[in-house]
Amino acid sequence: MKSALGIIISREYLERVKRKSFIITTILMPLLMLAMMVAPALIMALSGPEEQTIAVIDDSGVVAPRLQNEGDITFIPVNTPLTDLKADDNYQAILVIGKDVISEPDGNISLYTHGSPSMVTEQFISGQLSDVIEDQRIRAYEIDNLRQILDEVNVDVQLQTYRLDKEEETATSSILSYLLGTFMMLILYMFIMLYGQMVMTSIIEEKNNRVLELVVSSVKPTDLMMGKILGIGAVAVTQILIWAVLLIGCSIWIMPLLSTSVAQSGTADPAMIQAVAQLADPSFMGQLLIFMVLFLIGGYLFYSSIYAAIGSAVDNIQDASQLTSLAIVPIILALIISMSVVQDPNSALAMWTSYIPFTSPMVMMARVPFGIPVWQSIVSLVILYVSFVGMIWLAAKIYRVGIFMYGKKPTVAELIRWTRYK
Amino acid sequence: MENIITVDNVSKAFTNHVALDDVSLEVPRGKVYGLLGPNGAGKTTLIRIINHITAPDKGRVIFDGHDLTAADIVNIGYLPEERGLYKKMKVGDQALFFARLKGLSKQQAEKSLREWFDKLEISSWWNKKVEELSKGMAQKVQFIVTVLHNPRLLIFDEPFSGFDPINANVLKREILALRDAGATVIFSTHNMASVEELCDNITLINKSHNILTGNVAELRRRFSDNRYELGYEGDEKALVSAITPLVKVIEPIPADRDGISRVRFSLNAPDDSRTVLATANANALIRTFNPLLPSMDEIFIRTVEESNHQTTTPPAI
Repeated sequence: MKSALGIIISREYLERVKRKSFIITTILMPLLMLAMMVAPALIMALSGPEEQTIAVIDDSGVVAPRLQNEGDITFIPVNTPLTDLKADDNYQAILVIGKDVISEPDGNISLYTHGSPSMVTEQFISGQLSDVIEDQRIRAYEIDNLRQILDEVNVDVQLQTYRLDKEEETATSSILSYLLGTFMMLILYMFIMLYGQMVMTSIIEEKNNRVLELVVSSVKPTDLMMGKILGIGAVAVTQILIWAVLLIGCSIWIMPLLSTSVAQSGTADPAMIQAVAQLADPSFMGQLLIFMVLFLIGGYLFYSSIYAAIGSAVDNIQDASQLTSLAIVPIILALIISMSVVQDPNSALAMWTSYIPFTSPMVMMARVPFGIPVWQSIVSLVILYVSFVGMIWLAAKIYRVGIFMYGKKPTVAELIRWTRYK
Repeated sequence: MENIITVDNVSKAFTNHVALDDVSLEVPRGKVYGLLGPNGAGKTTLIRIINHITAPDKGRVIFDGHDLTAADIVNIGYLPEERGLYKKMKVGDQALFFARLKGLSKQQAEKSLREWFDKLEISSWWNKKVEELSKGMAQKVQFIVTVLHNPRLLIFDEPFSGFDPINANVLKREILALRDAGATVIFSTHNMASVEELCDNITLINKSHNILTGNVAELRRRFSDNRYELGYEGDEKALVSAITPLVKVIEPIPADRDGISRVRFSLNAPDDSRTVLATANANALIRTFNPLLPSMDEIFIRTVEESNHQTTTPPAI
């Protein structure tokens, strides 16, 4: 015989996981995210420079001969007046270069096109012009080897960061940490918001169609609430694990390709190589995943308790909007703080908000990729889970009174009074 | 143990009102017990306390000889007045869910559910979703999950609402069958006709107080106020004038097709029916002589109105 709590949890879990909407979103979401990442690159690739013939009217006389045709773009120097060229369909664009272009490029170069030119074409043309003008200016100084000197003077600093607190000196990439922190924090935000509200709406629905009256005649109201929170939480964990497995599967396939291509290309900057190496490090990624799941569960449990209390107190979704600010305001605040935390993961603000359960899940998610000391994560987790126990105790007190209250929109003061009922 | 439930001086207050004020009652085992009262009197709160959903502020509830605990819930079946089902779930799955919450194993639950579904002729609904059912159909499913685990105490709050007369009768029959099998039934309703028909004892709650408790037959006799109806053959005038010194005549009823006239009256002195009968006998041929029992409806209205007039102390019973 299963306990009542177990039966409630399994009903809540199975009813949701078996739904078509769950299966569809679980599969579709990663595809959508992938599409969002790939789409810009794809669009760029597809909208490469189309075949273009560009007429060049060069009043300076030095630029036009140096323009190089490349790919589908062909420059043709002409002497026809602009007005005649405008009517000529053989040219897709007309580039007009002023007399003083070398000393004063701004305002001395114009491009006339039929239809709007693609960004790639524009970039290509302005890149060529910059090179030509720069070259002309360097020559104007009449110093031998000036180009070489300038190249030698030019410097691009790349930091090689090493962690001293690790046994092994591993190179870390802060840009990667920044991206990972932002990504994980957003995922956590999305899950807490989505699944927390799911707990609330599901309680309101039960209350509304009075199935609740029948259920509490068999189980303690507290068990029903706990069962709902845990059952829906299990759905969230299922979803995140499915995604993690998909992600790991993809990385096993993609990462070696990425590493070799980065290593072979030679031109890649060291930060990139470092980032890829770190992404391919299973212990680093494994640790991230573990903390993510732990903070996700803790944050979800904490916030869904608040949502459960709110759901029990109102009759319909409309009435809930005022009370939900109790949960939404801290979540949004945590999101905003996390945005600044990824910039400076060891600031005083980051430290403090790491230990406040309202903000800690997201702030910690933003910080963990930076490799903060493990004890900090553990202390934060302990505080979070202990606060959850306190919060659910309070929520249960409100819940068992709230579910039988109909017709009136309660205030926060009333909710607090309910907690004192026997 | 004579009583299955003893409610002992129970009080319960909410923020703005007192739901129950020092209420006591005893529910004898194996009987049908009516819990009556106007809307908002505190019945539902009392039922929730008996069902261990809410705790009383003061007083205690004794179930089967011991203080009520959460473990006793499996011995109680409660059909609340406001009841619903999960709309998206299939009927069979849902019934299994509720049955297992009451502690039945999956096999046990499925077996007895199939029996009950057959008995109430709803087996074909097993795989339907609840949202496809009518209200009455859903009520049948709710009834089954309430009684399925063979509880010793059954609490029905307006069980017949939403049922057509035929199905209401089926339900009535099943409730009485459960009582005959040894279960005690607490029955809360506003339908006084079904109270007269089903209940052995009642308690009437008004404004959070117990204002009337007793056996239904006794109560009706007590509230008859020495009113009787006499059926006779003979001259109305002669009879009425003969008994007038002894009684207060309420109304004479002319002869029906069988030639039997009736007269309703109340005795001036209680227990004086002998003298009245003797006097009547001398003036007409007596056919019937019955006490005129009030309906539970009348008793309900009278008691509640009286208690509303003198709200200070409930009348001693």
